[in-house]
Amino acid sequence: MATRRALKAVLIDLSGTLHVEDTAVPGAQDALNRLRQSSVAVKFVTNTTKECKRNLVERLHSLNFDIQEQEIFTSLTAARSLVEQRQLRPLLLVADSALEDFSGLETSEPNAVVIGLAPDHFNYQTLNKAFRLVLDGAPLIAIHKARYYKTKDGLALGPGPFVTGLEYSTDCQATVVGKPEGTFFLEALRDIGCCPEEAIMIGDDARDDVGGAQNIGMLGIVVRTGKYRVGDEGKINPPPYLTCDSFTQAVDHILQHIL
Amino acid sequence: MAATTWEDSVKSLKGVILDMCGVLYDAGEDGGSPIPGSVEAVKRLKASDLQLRFCTNETQATREVFVAELQRMGFDISVCEVFSPAPAAVAVLKERGLRPHLLVYNGVLPEFDSVEKTNPNCVVIGDAAEKFSYRNLNDAFRVLIALEKPVLFSLGRGKYYKEDDGLKLDVGVYMKALEYACDVEAEVIGKPDPMFFQKVLDDMGIQSHQTLMIGDDLVNDVGGAQHCGMKGVQVRTGKYRPSDEKHPTVTADGYVDNLSEAVETILKLRGQ
Repeated sequence: MATRRALKAVLIDLSGTLHVEDTAVPGAQDALNRLRQSSVAVKFVTNTTKECKRNLVERLHSLNFDIQEQEIFTSLTAARSLVEQRQLRPLLLVADSALEDFSGLETSEPNAVVIGLAPDHFNYQTLNKAFRLVLDGAPLIAIHKARYYKTKDGLALGPGPFVTGLEYSTDCQATVVGKPEGTFFLEALRDIGCCPEEAIMIGDDARDDVGGAQNIGMLGIVVRTGKYRVGDEGKINPPPYLTCDSFTQAVDHILQHIL
Repeated sequence: MAATTWEDSVKSLKGVILDMCGVLYDAGEDGGSPIPGSVEAVKRLKASDLQLRFCTNETQATREVFVAELQRMGFDISVCEVFSPAPAAVAVLKERGLRPHLLVYNGVLPEFDSVEKTNPNCVVIGDAAEKFSYRNLNDAFRVLIALEKPVLFSLGRGKYYKEDDGLKLDVGVYMKALEYACDVEAEVIGKPDPMFFQKVLDDMGIQSHQTLMIGDDLVNDVGGAQHCGMKGVQVRTGKYRPSDEKHPTVTADGYVDNLSEAVETILKLRGQ
């Protein structure tokens, strides 16, 4: 493992770590403020694909979080830049509320499939349409491959299962742009100007938040909120740097033991 | 070379297993239409000294409804000769005392009438077509993820099939989706599962090396049968593609243009 350097940045997951749907994790706002008073840079990285950045910020503000739009890096942003880079015309299987982040892209006669979390679009007809495009050679771009996420009334399927199904049916491999891809974390760290060995990730998804971050040399802290289920920390190797009850405890640890 | 392999074994044959869709008939809007010569070929096999069974991964209708449709097309066939995944699944469920949450096509639901379904402790998925909505998949997912050790049965594992208006995703895709979501491996019931073929052999009371499987699906019909020790012949009808004859892992014991040609060859070599 690479030698650690002084901590410069903390990447923080949103859904499940700072809040669950419309409820803030108790004490998270204060903890964030305390972290901001320290010397580290803070950035918010999210695989939330249902919502455009504007909606995310509005929700966070309504929950009294002090967060600016430019501090948020989402998998939708990452997907859009890939589509633009490769000049593709995507069939967008993303929630209507996320379409804003793709405005201005050419989508007629699609030659690519971008798949996010779109319960309204994950039906037999639309998936068949996506399948035929990919079978004909259109690239499959997955905003992320999360297995499931937590809602008020229980766990719900994420985009990962649908991406996996399409991969199986077409014998192809999706290009994943969100967490846990290494490129996603590197991109998020780039404008802070720090390397992975100087950064830590806090999230409720052991594999996608912590495993992904640790794979490129960051430290990772799993919080036991949101989608966390008992034993999750054992699902990744090497194990998480730390497992905490909540975001508040993770911040306390950073302030007391790392900085 | 391949052709002689199966023709040499014809004399020692005691039974034949036929795949149905793509061998007997082509699927379509109005229930489909028989492949030319197949009705007559089934009739000739039945009149011979060979045993005959039918083996399908069809899971959109009960066997009764499905067989009635084939009879309407002119096939001499009865329910007890047809092996499909749903009844096999029912047997497994009862044997293991499992109570399924079902995500299957409405047409096949009656096959599961005799199975206890309250407080489910496993999930069974079949080709549910339009019923594969986010909501229905999520319901199945929630049953699985709540179990200490999730048990998922999939009636077949096909990737896609062809209908009049284009290619459609098959059950295997949704099986993969749930496998990935729950970190579980599904138990496949139907072709190419060896247990499924063994039931058919047991019913005929013959050994696998005395049996020939004829199908249009190279991997599931031909490969599956060969894996059990049977001979497998592919017909160039249904979902057959010329590239099948150069498949990297499965080589049929023979290729014939259609069922009619296969039966003609078999009966001639047996002197009938």
